[in-house]
Amino acid sequence: MKIKRILIANRGEIAVRIMKTARMMRIETVAVKTAVETNAMYLSSADVIFDNTEDISEIPVFLDIEKLISIALKTNANAIHPGYGFLAENAYFAQKCIENKLIFIGPTPDAIYKMGNKTIARKIALANGIPMAMGSEGNIGTEEEAVVIAEKIGYPVIIKAASGGGGRGMRIVRKAEDMEKLFIIASKEAEKAFNDPSVFVEKYIENPKHIEFQILGDTKGNVIHLGERECSIQRKHQKLLEEAPSCALDEELRQKMGSMAVQIAKAVDYHSAGTVEFLLDSDKNFYFMEMNTRIQVEHPVTEIITGLDLIEQQIRIANGEELKYKQNDIRLEGWAIECRINAEDVQAGFAPDPGKIESLNMPSFPCVRVDTGVQAGSSIVASYDSMIAKLIVKGKDRKDAIKNCKMALDKVWIKGTKTTLPFFRMLVRHQKFLDGSFTTAFIEKDLEKYYFNSEYEEMLAAWLATKLFVEENLNDNSINIDFEHGKEMSPWLLNKRMNQF
Amino acid sequence: MANEKLQIKKLYALSSENRKFSFSLPLKQTIRIGKRDYEVKLKADEKYGTYILWKNRKYPVEIVSSRQNKYEILFNDISYTFTVETPFSLKRMKVLNSGRDKVETEFIKAPMPGKIIDVLVREGSSVLRSEPLIILEAMKMQNEIISPVTGTIVKVAVKPNTNVMKDDLLVEIKL
Repeated sequence: MKIKRILIANRGEIAVRIMKTARMMRIETVAVKTAVETNAMYLSSADVIFDNTEDISEIPVFLDIEKLISIALKTNANAIHPGYGFLAENAYFAQKCIENKLIFIGPTPDAIYKMGNKTIARKIALANGIPMAMGSEGNIGTEEEAVVIAEKIGYPVIIKAASGGGGRGMRIVRKAEDMEKLFIIASKEAEKAFNDPSVFVEKYIENPKHIEFQILGDTKGNVIHLGERECSIQRKHQKLLEEAPSCALDEELRQKMGSMAVQIAKAVDYHSAGTVEFLLDSDKNFYFMEMNTRIQVEHPVTEIITGLDLIEQQIRIANGEELKYKQNDIRLEGWAIECRINAEDVQAGFAPDPGKIESLNMPSFPCVRVDTGVQAGSSIVASYDSMIAKLIVKGKDRKDAIKNCKMALDKVWIKGTKTTLPFFRMLVRHQKFLDGSFTTAFIEKDLEKYYFNSEYEEMLAAWLATKLFVEENLNDNSINIDFEHGKEMSPWLLNKRMNQF
Repeated sequence: MANEKLQIKKLYALSSENRKFSFSLPLKQTIRIGKRDYEVKLKADEKYGTYILWKNRKYPVEIVSSRQNKYEILFNDISYTFTVETPFSLKRMKVLNSGRDKVETEFIKAPMPGKIIDVLVREGSSVLRSEPLIILEAMKMQNEIISPVTGTIVKVAVKPNTNVMKDDLLVEIKL
């Protein structure tokens, strides 16, 4: 193995995840300690910790290319794993690694650039005969131009950031009057998020399913796919729950879409793990959306049904090894579901609810895998994403996986922030989720209530409120508390009081 | 309160959606469902923190805030807000509410901490329901703050490129 020591240019659960595989492969890891998360869990899994807490730079270190390269060199790492987000899909970063004789665990700068630029990716897909939604040929400069194209292909259309991803810089436009406003918003958001304000327009496919294919390619030109993931449960283009496989695909469609995914990867000499995203409409027509040139948040569901460790595959490919598997060796077995448990307030429109995790108890059943980067005492900080943990559940088929998921969700205890748990508890009971007919519009259109509570829960909460009132106001022997003239007290102070009852 | 204490036989917890739960005093550690009384226990331990034990199941509970007689309770990860009223205060409230008109001004507050990216309205301009007012960036996502009502902007309390805390006033709309 050429790769001896990997700098993890990331944090949180994905840093922990990468280190787990590295340890198994007897490769050392370097983690970067930052001032915002000095006691983060990922630091405890690393062999070497680079202390960057003194760094006063305004850009986070995980976005600072020069700094990361210098950390890698200083700590004698000979490879860098970018994880997801941050610089994972930055061609310049990959290029810089190569220039400094560091192995970038990911695809080539060229592949990242081509697939990262959505207008170039569209051209490549077109040239390879991959079905696509109609749209503008390249980037468009003005809202007037956008209106002209929209009139031609018909509303609704979607404005997308050319360098985009993760739902940012995207707006759906349903009528010409809205174009100006939304064009500006999308372009501004794109500039802010990706340093590139250019956008393009394509036909918006109504109520599709989001189906993506995991692919693996090596440096010898072999590319295979590992089946699909169903990621239609999303809100504002942010995925909440993913499963593999998808009940919308039969074997024939899987073969067809899978071979298209392999073809587009081959077109850019892709190596490493990658994901080709498609939209699938109600008539089972599929359209190429984009290719993500990184490991994805939802990669565990594919690992469960294929039995492969995708991080290990990434490392082996970066090491120059040939894929051990041919397409025929890949068997999809069972069913896997991943719930992204985020620190978000479901009742307040999924608003982020950063804070300190007071306690975290996850179920430990054979059918459950938990990927997390936090533990009791960790903080979910506003400067990073709101993920607490990924609850990954398997079953022998979809029904079984949902049953296990329902059971596991009741065993998750997280205190300190509000979480997306009530949403998932609702989802696993919802008819449209159970019968598989949900689309990406599910959350916006089909839901009246974003959470689940059983019959007596509100009454029990009312009893507790009443009990508190009694303790505070009516009991002669109750401890006097100062309401600080009506100002809010820390809930943790109150909890301490509660324990004294 | 002190002179009322002895006479109170009942308390009411009113939910924010105006559901009323009544409990007789002294408060029992049981709740009656149909003809059976079920024991309800408030407990705490190292591993799970505070929880309620009900019908052999543990539910995590948390007091998110407590302000006079208003409580926000997190029960099994769902938030409920109650005001606890005595029969007297309930009666008083009813009298007060009956004379009051509908709300005339809508205060739009920041739903989350973040940065104001853009203000799309001016003081004096009129807005329609579901029209975007402000672009607020939080946790790397830009969120449109949508007007819940149709009315006239009487106050814009924020400027672009400034940070706001949760519940900070953004815009006031006169109906």
